[in-house]
Amino acid sequence: MATDLQRVWRKLTWPWSPLSEREASEAIVRNLWLHWFPAKVSGRSLSWSYSLWLGTAAASLFVILTVTGVMLMFFYVPSTERAYGSIKDLQYAVSFGRVLRNQHRWSAEGMVALVFIHMARVFFTGAYRGSRVLNWLVGIALLLGTLMLSFTGYLLPWDQLAYWAITVGTNIASSAPLLGWTVQYLLLGGHFVGQQTLLRFYVLHVFFLPAVVWMLFAYHMWRVRKDGGLAAIEAVRAERRAEPKPMPRSKSYSLFGLTPGTSVAVMSSMGLEERDQVASSPNLTRRMILVFLAVFNVTLLLSLLFNAPLEGPANPAVTPNPAKAPWYFVWLQELVSSTTIHLGSFTISGGLIGGILVPGVLLAALILWPFFDRSPASAEGVWFARTRTRQNAVFTIISIGIIILIIVGLYLRGPYWHLYWPWSRRPVLPQVL
Amino acid sequence: METDRRTLLRWLGKSSVFAAFVAQIGAAARAFFPNVLYEPPSTFNLKKPEDYPQGYTFDSDHRLFVIRGAATVHVISAICTHLGCTVQWRGTEFDCPCHGSRFDANGNVISGPAPPPLPWFEVSLSPDGLLEVDSAAAVPEGSALTTPTAKA
Repeated sequence: MATDLQRVWRKLTWPWSPLSEREASEAIVRNLWLHWFPAKVSGRSLSWSYSLWLGTAAASLFVILTVTGVMLMFFYVPSTERAYGSIKDLQYAVSFGRVLRNQHRWSAEGMVALVFIHMARVFFTGAYRGSRVLNWLVGIALLLGTLMLSFTGYLLPWDQLAYWAITVGTNIASSAPLLGWTVQYLLLGGHFVGQQTLLRFYVLHVFFLPAVVWMLFAYHMWRVRKDGGLAAIEAVRAERRAEPKPMPRSKSYSLFGLTPGTSVAVMSSMGLEERDQVASSPNLTRRMILVFLAVFNVTLLLSLLFNAPLEGPANPAVTPNPAKAPWYFVWLQELVSSTTIHLGSFTISGGLIGGILVPGVLLAALILWPFFDRSPASAEGVWFARTRTRQNAVFTIISIGIIILIIVGLYLRGPYWHLYWPWSRRPVLPQVL
Repeated sequence: METDRRTLLRWLGKSSVFAAFVAQIGAAARAFFPNVLYEPPSTFNLKKPEDYPQGYTFDSDHRLFVIRGAATVHVISAICTHLGCTVQWRGTEFDCPCHGSRFDANGNVISGPAPPPLPWFEVSLSPDGLLEVDSAAAVPEGSALTTPTAKA
């Protein structure tokens, strides 16, 4: 019976029994689940300590977010009148609804953090260089996609945080020169935050942005493969290149100018050798499953211990005091609070400088960085390479600056956005309305 | 180089199909800019001037302050000119809870990121004696409505 089931399962998924190394490789290619992996991967790419598996962890969170998100769609109503109630129902009336929403929320915040840390890892290992520049750019697009998914996501409960985040966010957009008002009108679907706005952000959140991020993610993975694996293998490649090679037995075609390009013998000496590679299954697949399970269990544990925040229902008349953005945007809130410039009678709003120009400059720096990196190739795929110390220092200083702004915004800002020490008493506010 | 009729017609045919495709994308994008808005009008009535106490009263429906003096009434917007949060009246000044902008009793910026002052709205008396506010028409600071029935 058991063997019969096994036979049927094999027939359905993997109609192939490998008898040799080569057949085993082919078996991976022919398997329904495994064919999107290469048959073999370089052992160095699988190192735990090199990549810390941050990208896989972020991708695991994205899978969790997709599944929990689709489940939440069965309960959520994108209407300004019913959205808040449907979240309350999830909290109190739906069995395990609270855990479901918590897991979606904590996974989302975890994804923002992990995508950023993954980017920091790629930066500190100099892995964006050479042929991997394109994948670095795709990664930046994925970071932006993650942030946009977070922003559109926390608007949906239609609580106070949601309402005032849309208000402030779309006002930042409107402070852009020329197209600002048009963009705001398009995002809001009118002049005020209302039903049209909620519906637009809902469709962006549950379909448009996830579709874009999934496609970019697939491309990101495909590029990793086309670039030959993680940057850590570049050192192995250099080693192999330096080793003396036996003379090729046949003469290369290109010697006579018959075909353009590099000869077969030279090509084979550029790549990795048999001993550098291991079969994807189980070496890669087992690690991926382990990372996924670890990430899943951490998010589940967090969801059992901590509840996702939900403020009072959206009230267009009263802004919470203080109104704080989620942690990953609070540094921008600090920036827009303090970057308004007065030049005589001429004023430039902090919305434009702190909300658009400063993030724009940071984004441009990330995009352009690989093109101005002049460090030697030996810095590729090495943690904290000596030749990149100054670059790493700049990245670290900017990151620490952002983290300091986040801490100030989260812990030191009190009513009316005044600064208070965490231990100092904050004024008791009169009830508005 | 001479183009024969067949090549030209073929080129025209392909181009027109492509142009129709592009135009349809434009039309689809245009749909996202609404033509009809179901939004509250910018001109609306408040209560009668004498229904407001002396001093600053917050109208939560319209997000503005009605300020009644001895014989005058004026209206100042409660929407922060920085990024649109609702400011609060704190006895001597308006403060914004989002980014810390501060405005004096007339709406002028004291400190913080807000660029222009809080606007004053045009206010008049409707035939039935209600305050009529036009929130699309900002008026210069100090233009208050003198209330004929004000009992000082």
